[in-house]
Amino acid sequence: MIGLFGMLNMASQSLNTQMTGVDVTGQNLANVNTTGYQRQTVDIETNPDIATGFGPEGTGAGVASIQQISDALLNSQVQSQQSVSGYWNSQQSALQSAQTNLDEYLNGTASSSSSSANDTTSTGLSAQLSGLFSDFSSLATTPTSVAAQQAVVNQAQNLATTFNQVNSQLDQLNTSLNSSVTTGVSSANELLSNIASLNGEINSAEADGGTANSLLDTRDQDLANLSQLVNIQTSTSTGTGSAVNISIGGQTLVSGAQSLDQLQAYDPGNGQLQVKTANGGVPLTLTGGSIQGTIDARDGTLATLQSNVNTLASTLITQVNGIESPGYSPTGTTGTAFFTGTGASDIAVNSTLVNNPALLQSSASASSPSDNSVALQLADLSSTTQSDLNGQTFSASYAATVASLGNALQTANDQVTNQTAVATMLQTQQSDVSGVNIDQEMTNLMGFQRAYEASAQLVTTINTMMGDTLTMKTA
Amino acid sequence: MRVASNSYTDSMLNQFNTLISSEDRLQSEVSTGLSVQAPSDNPEAMESTLDDLSSQAAQTQYSTNISTLQTHATAVYNAMDSLQTIISNADQIATSAGSGTISQSKLTNYASEVQQYIQSAVSLANTQDSTTGQYLFGGTASTSPPFTTTTDASGNITGVTYQGNTSVNQVPIANGTTVSVDVPGANTTGSGPRGLFTDSQSGADLFNHLITLQNDLKSGDTSAVATDSANLQKDEDNLTYQVANNGSTQTRLNTAATFATNQSTALNTSITNTSGANMVQTMVQLNQAQTSYQAALQSSAQIMQLSILNYLPT
Repeated sequence: MIGLFGMLNMASQSLNTQMTGVDVTGQNLANVNTTGYQRQTVDIETNPDIATGFGPEGTGAGVASIQQISDALLNSQVQSQQSVSGYWNSQQSALQSAQTNLDEYLNGTASSSSSSANDTTSTGLSAQLSGLFSDFSSLATTPTSVAAQQAVVNQAQNLATTFNQVNSQLDQLNTSLNSSVTTGVSSANELLSNIASLNGEINSAEADGGTANSLLDTRDQDLANLSQLVNIQTSTSTGTGSAVNISIGGQTLVSGAQSLDQLQAYDPGNGQLQVKTANGGVPLTLTGGSIQGTIDARDGTLATLQSNVNTLASTLITQVNGIESPGYSPTGTTGTAFFTGTGASDIAVNSTLVNNPALLQSSASASSPSDNSVALQLADLSSTTQSDLNGQTFSASYAATVASLGNALQTANDQVTNQTAVATMLQTQQSDVSGVNIDQEMTNLMGFQRAYEASAQLVTTINTMMGDTLTMKTA
Repeated sequence: MRVASNSYTDSMLNQFNTLISSEDRLQSEVSTGLSVQAPSDNPEAMESTLDDLSSQAAQTQYSTNISTLQTHATAVYNAMDSLQTIISNADQIATSAGSGTISQSKLTNYASEVQQYIQSAVSLANTQDSTTGQYLFGGTASTSPPFTTTTDASGNITGVTYQGNTSVNQVPIANGTTVSVDVPGANTTGSGPRGLFTDSQSGADLFNHLITLQNDLKSGDTSAVATDSANLQKDEDNLTYQVANNGSTQTRLNTAATFATNQSTALNTSITNTSGANMVQTMVQLNQAQTSYQAALQSSAQIMQLSILNYLPT
């Protein structure tokens, strides 16, 4: 027999137990919108029985633990998915900027007929290039016309300016990609040291058998954020509670509460930042994450794009000058190069011609001022294949360059769509396990509330019984 | 199955984004008539469209070149036409003077009439293109009048010298095809394009023939006038050759103009086929997208209002 006081004790413990239930429910409800929060439940256990002459007698129930509901397998899947998504997202964003910088789009106005685009035009270098060749052809038709000469010079200036702009914007993009590598590395370092210190805190919290649910949530969130930046390998330390060790590219950076090394962005000599370990100095090959996505886009598609645009400009300069320089202007002058500069960054129309387009050398002979042989050769460049451009014409080579950027971006777009679908699915699964459902919590709340009410009623009853016992003496 | 409260809102947001971006995409297809706008939309179509566009620019330029050449060729023809009148008038004079029954005063009148023709012919020989100012009959050396004259004390032309050259410009009118509408004023080299006024291949030498005729009329040498008439016939033959040549060039230009227009239309069709939007299909899809979006908004607004909280006693 546990007696009246024993029962009173049981009722009071029950009040506490139900109160904890209300508390945990409240915590869940409060965190319904918290990113990374994993719902908790109260694990209530029956107290040990005591032996009596009539058999075992119950002594109520108490809180065994507050459990975090999570699925370790799902969590690790979400985490590795973050690396893949991060990689393709950063590729997509870099390539999208490149596409914008190249500014090669199709424009058109819809016609009222059932299926057609009228007046389709392209923006960017493509239209400028064919414009220049058209003006060369026009010059071949009227070689001494001032209007035709002026048109050639103006169009060539437009083309040169577009080359300069595209090049400088791609340069700027390269710079901003490098700085996003630096930013990514410093965010990763911050997360690495956070995780190391969380490992320490979790260890000490769990040392006396407790659980550190909210610290675990924070660490899971940090791990997910870190995975988005770089592909990490995790392992659980043996003998140190639930500490997570992190290595990147085979280099252990976090071991338990210890931060062994960090990441560092470094310049291997060509101005294009790469990543190595800060103390060990080991260059890292990252296999996923946004930092590597940025590096791959920068060194792959974008480097090719910029070099193709540059080759296009330099080939144009060489070819046009090679034909135009030895020619003669209508006034008999010769030797004025058409373009100055050596590539996309500095291509410009010779200032002598800008100031006086009449000096344009369209004739093959000083004594034939209205001869058009040189202009004709310049116009023919439009259909001449160039060995420097992989045996393609200027326009075709540029169209291929545009298409290869388009292909890369299309792949990135497709990957982002696919990976987003996978990520959404995994996150939905994760939140189905760990997320808070208000209806469920409210129902639980009512359960705990009613149980609390019942326990309170027990206290009142015992109180009445105790009163009855005490009044027995005076009666 | 257990569903977290936030799964609802998250998946709804995802669906809204997907629907609205497809609506946006279709809307821009409808307004531009293009299903491909950026390289990433369809790289292969973009490449082929850019190729088509540069070919189209070339065809447009060929059309412009052709129309410039047509104006030029017409100007050349007009000059030839006037020249034909001059030659046949001079030939009539030679024929009538060669009959031997004309008085010297009449012959002197004829001589001054011939002088008029010489002057008209020189001014025709120095005709300039109305738009470019280029001399029509100076070959490729035409920045100054190709024909200069020497005159006697009374201002009569006694000699005409050609300053131009015998080259002509070839102008592109189609891929790999060029044409020349220019005629050099004189060609005494015996090769290359034949000269209009003087040409050693055909024996034409209009100015010298007219000047000789004039001198023979002045001196009353009617027997020499007969030879002059024969010489003028050579000039007329040469001119006939040049007119025929001009005619065939104009025909070539007309054919090339039609070809360029056809090419341009064909390229336009090719661009529409590769990058154009199917308007009917796109409009239907846009309607579908709008309907889906509306349905999603409406259903989610209703679902989101549902909660156990609505039914619990307060």
